[in-house]
Amino acid sequence: MSTATLNGAASTNLLQQQPSTSTEASSSVAAAAATAAVKTRGAEFGDDVAPTSTSHLPTSPAICRYFQKGICRFGSVCRFSHDLPGGEVISSNTNNSSGSTAPASTLNNERPSTSRRNWANAPAFIPAADHAGGEVLESVVDPNHSWAEVVFGPNARGRSMPHMASGFHEIASVDEECPFESPCPYGMFCVYAIHMELCEMCDQFCLHPNDEEQRKKHKKECLQQHEQAMELSFAVARSKDKTCGICFDTIMEKAGREKRFGILPNCNHIFCLECIRKWRQAKQFEHKITRSCPECRVSSDFVCPSAFWVETKEEKDKLLGDYRKALGIKDCKYFKKGDGKCPFGNKCFYKHALPNGDLVDVGCPKKGRKIHRSNNEIINLLDIYLYEFLEQRNLNFLDFFESTGDEGEDSSDDED
Amino acid sequence: MAVNMAVSRIKREFKEVMRSEEIVQCSIKIELINDSWTELRGEIAGPPDTPYEGGKFVLEIKVPETYPFNPPKVRFITKIWHPNISSVTGAICLDILKDNWAAAMTLRTVLLSLQALLAAAEPDDPQDAVVAYQYKDKYQLFVMTARHWTNVYAGGPHKYPDCDAKIQRLKDMGIDEHDARAVLSKENWDLEKATESLFS
Repeated sequence: MSTATLNGAASTNLLQQQPSTSTEASSSVAAAAATAAVKTRGAEFGDDVAPTSTSHLPTSPAICRYFQKGICRFGSVCRFSHDLPGGEVISSNTNNSSGSTAPASTLNNERPSTSRRNWANAPAFIPAADHAGGEVLESVVDPNHSWAEVVFGPNARGRSMPHMASGFHEIASVDEECPFESPCPYGMFCVYAIHMELCEMCDQFCLHPNDEEQRKKHKKECLQQHEQAMELSFAVARSKDKTCGICFDTIMEKAGREKRFGILPNCNHIFCLECIRKWRQAKQFEHKITRSCPECRVSSDFVCPSAFWVETKEEKDKLLGDYRKALGIKDCKYFKKGDGKCPFGNKCFYKHALPNGDLVDVGCPKKGRKIHRSNNEIINLLDIYLYEFLEQRNLNFLDFFESTGDEGEDSSDDED
Repeated sequence: MAVNMAVSRIKREFKEVMRSEEIVQCSIKIELINDSWTELRGEIAGPPDTPYEGGKFVLEIKVPETYPFNPPKVRFITKIWHPNISSVTGAICLDILKDNWAAAMTLRTVLLSLQALLAAAEPDDPQDAVVAYQYKDKYQLFVMTARHWTNVYAGGPHKYPDCDAKIQRLKDMGIDEHDARAVLSKENWDLEKATESLFS
């Protein structure tokens, strides 16, 4: 997996150790190889657009603005100068800094550029197929250019190549973290002092050898991520073959927004959100019928949308709690921040707050009309209206829940 | 979408019935009438230890577009003598087929419920008042009548030559056989009263 890049790096190194006065014949081949090596490195840095032609390389004397901010992703192949005004030359793969400072903070989206995902996308190493070879050849013929310049541009003169322990150039900084993908091919001969150690949980080299705090932090985050991924995979597993009791479809196999569960608080029967909502809104039956579960006829006041099936009481309580919380963030459209009056009073799931943010207890819902059914059953219409109102409005909660679900999915991808 | 759901659900339910234990025991059966999956024919066996034992009762099942949010329309094609089923039209009085329907119910549960209805009539919530009255007032006559109907229309085993003779008398007067049977059943097999109600 890592051999292509390692070979590329090794060949670069090999070439640089050759005296720059080698014959033309061997140099053209080597130059092509070097170009390819540059490209491989570019891809390794996570560049979607790797520099396609080396003819762009030795150009502008202007100082790279990104480099000044320390975030130039082109590193040493950048066409702008990486010489700071003070004459100080900073070597290092600037774009690798994200990996060195906070490798553990890459919980979800942020990933170190040296991830394996990028390795897989690296272009194949085919020296003969390099269309830029001719241009390189021209610059190579110029005897005033060293190999390092061909590979890294003219600014590389005086740049350090820390891995070249031969002392060819002066060594820049040995206290830094080794920028190469671990395990570093130079092993104990590498001049960089700091080599990140392997974290067995995430299988990446991201544990600082000395910084206990970093190690602890990373391990904690790794564990958290692992737990999240486990939770998610359990959720997927238990939801996978659940079928809706109304449409009989497998809910997880439904398309897009239909792939949602409608959880009834008072029983454990499985429905997709769309079906159970439709059933509860059916006008041809009495409310007593539609408010109850189509399978067991246990009545539930509302339906909670969920991306996954909840099996245990704990999972369900958490979901219902999250649901109320999510609705409680949003302002009630009847209360209107104090301007209006919410007929549902403190039974409403939405937020009753004044413009200054103060929460208001609006008291019990005002007693509504009560209607007598033929069987003397008294139904408080307000209750019915409240939950219908909630069910019409709570679609957004699902977006909230789905987005957290998606994040979880991302993190599980990272685990692989 | 609703149409699609109705059809896709009926297809699944059809398979469910075909795989069910009941089909192995020959107690329920279901078949298609048309290609659109909206009309089906069901069949239930008369439950044991009831007047309907040994009979096969055919049902007409019409699936509405709004299925399963509305119940299927079911009626007996086979003539049957039962307090909750019209002896004239075959209409069924069963709560789950009306306002007590639930979207999770299926053709299989409907057929099984009908079978249960045959085993446990509800004379206090009748579809056919005459049958219900007989059921409550003259149960022995009700059992005989129901068995006789089962024998004649559903292939049941119990023959009642006495009934057949009375029907023959009315037929001789130019009355249609089924009309004769219906009137005699209604009049508790009193030939005189039956004749009276026919010719009054």
